[in-house]
Amino acid sequence: MSKGKWGPKMLNSILPVLLAFGIGAIVILLIGEDPLEAYGIMLGKSLLTTKGFLNTLHYAAPLLLTGLAIAVTFKANIFNMGVEGQLLFGGFFAGIAGAYLPVGDPLLHKLLCFAVGMGCGVLFAMIPALLKAYCHVDEMVVTLTLNYAMIKVLEYLSTGPFREAGSGYVCTPTVLDSAMFYRLGSSRITAFFFVALGAFLLVWFVMRRTRLGYEITAIGKNPEFAEATGMRVHRKIIVLMALSGALAGLAGTGFMLSEKFKYTLSFSGNPGLGWDGMLIALLGRHSPAGILIAAVFYSALKTGADNINMYTHVPKEIVAVIQSLMILFLAVQFLDERYGLLARLKARKGAKADAITR
Amino acid sequence: MRLLGSILYDSVYHTTPILLCVLGGIFAYKAGVLNIALEGFMLSASFMSMLVAGLTGSVALGYAAAFASCLVLWLVFSYMGVTRRGNVIIIGLAINMLVPAIAGFVLQIMGTANLTLPWLNVGDMKVNLPLIRDIPVLGNMLSGHPVTTYLAFLMIPLMGVLMYRTRLGVYIRVVGENEDAARSLGLRTDRYKYLAVLIGALFAAFAGVNLSMERMALFTNNMTAGRGFIAIAAIYCGRGSPAGSAMYAIVFGVARALAVNLGLFAGPAASLIDIVPYVVMTLVLTMVSVVKRRNNRLRGFVGG
Repeated sequence: MSKGKWGPKMLNSILPVLLAFGIGAIVILLIGEDPLEAYGIMLGKSLLTTKGFLNTLHYAAPLLLTGLAIAVTFKANIFNMGVEGQLLFGGFFAGIAGAYLPVGDPLLHKLLCFAVGMGCGVLFAMIPALLKAYCHVDEMVVTLTLNYAMIKVLEYLSTGPFREAGSGYVCTPTVLDSAMFYRLGSSRITAFFFVALGAFLLVWFVMRRTRLGYEITAIGKNPEFAEATGMRVHRKIIVLMALSGALAGLAGTGFMLSEKFKYTLSFSGNPGLGWDGMLIALLGRHSPAGILIAAVFYSALKTGADNINMYTHVPKEIVAVIQSLMILFLAVQFLDERYGLLARLKARKGAKADAITR
Repeated sequence: MRLLGSILYDSVYHTTPILLCVLGGIFAYKAGVLNIALEGFMLSASFMSMLVAGLTGSVALGYAAAFASCLVLWLVFSYMGVTRRGNVIIIGLAINMLVPAIAGFVLQIMGTANLTLPWLNVGDMKVNLPLIRDIPVLGNMLSGHPVTTYLAFLMIPLMGVLMYRTRLGVYIRVVGENEDAARSLGLRTDRYKYLAVLIGALFAAFAGVNLSMERMALFTNNMTAGRGFIAIAAIYCGRGSPAGSAMYAIVFGVARALAVNLGLFAGPAASLIDIVPYVVMTLVLTMVSVVKRRNNRLRGFVGG
């Protein structure tokens, strides 16, 4: 990639963030609080203290995976908006496997849970994938709406068959000790962070260094041409959606075994981890390094929200406002990425000079 | 018998907001701008109508605030999506996340979990139709709804006329079907897209007010609960035609009424009826796509 393209690319990611924070600052000023103090507490505590930073990394792990799950499909110009549903499905049954399978061995039990969770993620991603590959159904709309169907199904399963009887609120039984990831040291970070990092490096390698990665990029650029050169686009779409579903399932499993330990109706938070993943993929411009930075930054925002609540009078809902503004501004390109600002100015000057000499 | 009566009444009750969203949303669909922000538009109307009515003590100002908030969101959506050519799905999702975030922020500052209007008697909003209300069973179902409900059903044929018999409707459809052709005829395509989204925003405002102020004089955050997406499903199933999409809206409204009423007997399993709209949509989309491809093949366009 030539050097000139990096400037606008970075700016296109940074400008929306600054704009969103700027509007957030105005809102904080309006309620009579100090925005600099609020932002300082929000980001300072979650990025600049050791314990806070490790907590941030802990919450970044599932976000890294959902961001990646969305980015791999976006790259091929396929839009898997169903990461949220795949994550919930995977997380739910990983939790069930963790609670009911009487496996003594901790490693084996966790592996089984991961297999179940990732399997469920793949399974749920297969519905839109098969419909897209063989019936040409718009995958964006199908994946988007199937999320809501999945939420309803899991609501039924957790209030009906799998409900923990003794609990005062709706939840499934807690996973057994052998399936839990334990905290390393005094912060919340667990071994799952390294699992996520490993998966991240693996996908990076696949996308950058293997035939599959090359083919995915080719399909994204021009599917008809890819088909004409002999790639089986149908099959690649299915493989890609399976990869995306597996990553979503992995994220759900990890979140279940390292943080939640049981399925509740607000398992994934609001907005859910899958939607957060979309923001991260957009913010990171679908490049692996960008996604890693975006996931950590975004996780810092999320953990910072609790600190904002604790140490200032600003409600933590301000973070949700800033987050949705970021997505809104990230949806449009502020600067043309193909030509740098300078190049465009030069081109305009050149055209003018041409006009004069003519 | 009482159960049947309440299912019938609830069917109309639950259809209303979905139907309103559908009737407004079909124009954006036909113009080629899929507006999934209907959910957010609706929620902002619900919220602003209750907030302003609560602060000023005036129902009329509540309505005005609902429409004003939807107009602001309309401008944001159209500017980002039409003028700046952003991805409309992502913009729509962002608006759907932004509205509950703002509502939650304001509720938190006010120190409450929901907004109520103790002085507003919801019963006064309901209109009993003379004569019709005396018909057994049907009278119960058709009478006793707020004015908006009657308007919603009256709008089905009116929107049909607007879409197929007026210049505006024809131009909007042309823009969606072939933008280049429309532009070559000298149509200002962006302007028609703005107008198409505007119709959806106005209807969503009605739906939002219906949901919060007219029905219960109550606002809780996220009370739209996916109705905007059910409307999108209905629009896709009906392929944007007013009558067809409205029919699916009614089917989905009935499904919702069944889920609510049968929940009392069947327990949690009744909530599975709620997935009907999404499953139906997936099936209809698949069928439409398969049929289209088969027709293409018959005409010799393999691959398409």
